[in-house]
Amino acid sequence: MSNSKLYKGSLTTIILKLLNENDKMYGYEITQKVKELTKGELKITEGALYPALHKLEAEGLLDVEVAKVDNRLRKYYKLTETGTKETVNKLEELAEYIKTMQALVNPKLA
Amino acid sequence: MKLTKEEIQFIDNYLIKNEVKYWDVRLELLDHIVSAVEDKITNDGISFNEALLEVHKGFGNQFIEFGVPKSKIFESGLYQSNIGFKKFTRNKQKELGRKYRTMTWNHLKAKFSTFKFWLEYLAVILAFVSIYQFKPKACFLIGLIVLILPTIYSAYYSIKDKSTRKSLSFAMATSSAMAVWSLYNLSFYILKDRYENVANMPHGFFVIVACLFYPVIRANIEVYQNVYKENKKTFNFKFL
Repeated sequence: MSNSKLYKGSLTTIILKLLNENDKMYGYEITQKVKELTKGELKITEGALYPALHKLEAEGLLDVEVAKVDNRLRKYYKLTETGTKETVNKLEELAEYIKTMQALVNPKLA
Repeated sequence: MKLTKEEIQFIDNYLIKNEVKYWDVRLELLDHIVSAVEDKITNDGISFNEALLEVHKGFGNQFIEFGVPKSKIFESGLYQSNIGFKKFTRNKQKELGRKYRTMTWNHLKAKFSTFKFWLEYLAVILAFVSIYQFKPKACFLIGLIVLILPTIYSAYYSIKDKSTRKSLSFAMATSSAMAVWSLYNLSFYILKDRYENVANMPHGFFVIVACLFYPVIRANIEVYQNVYKENKKTFNFKFL
């Protein structure tokens, strides 16, 4: 991930937000969507994405679905009911964080 | 450009050679690698070999090119290090372990909140005590069987359904179910120093251990059943 330290803490929020908007997504699709939305500024590496996905799955925030696509099996991730609620909380937390940082870095805009 | 069946098979074999032995880990890696390779061939205009080598490194597998002849770069690059895949598996293993421990704890709490289970538990303890009065050795053996029930259960499933073999989910569910057996072994070692001969060890102690662990054993079996049902639903075993 570029600018890794700054983005790292927000990775789960990014994943939850994308799944909230896209119903279900597979691992590679998430990396490409982030790259597309940030115009290549943020690149999520496989080494960062999957541990985050597996953690969210273990916490019961994500559910999985498997489908056969082009001679192979594809694992799709989607939000559970708890996951949907948690997305709202995480986004609020992130908005608060951005606001606080704004007040610190650029008090005129805050 | 879509990869051919043979190229997908090559990637699957490459993952096996890199010791990604669990099928439920491999299927996720395979789809990611195939998608990334297809993307790189289409958008970056590179060859299959170059794309695969790039994706291989992207997973954190190291590759030192120094001293490797150009003709062997692809072969050496793919099999020199599998550290990234090992990390991937270890991480999933850690998360599954956490998930099953939470599930066991929740099942245990749910059990103790029902009157039915308290009755069942009381009946088990009474049965143990009654048998122990007349045949302590037989009671000890029954206790042992109770303690290895989760192991017997998972062994039964691995015979019944081959998809439970070489699956990380089931491997972790089994190891979580066998945790009780480890605790039992620990109690065995505590007494080992005091009693040189195993036959002289107090049978009653092990019967108490079996009684104490009975609720955990019941919760473990239920967790294993849930993991089986969940995997059957998700992976629709006919795919495999």
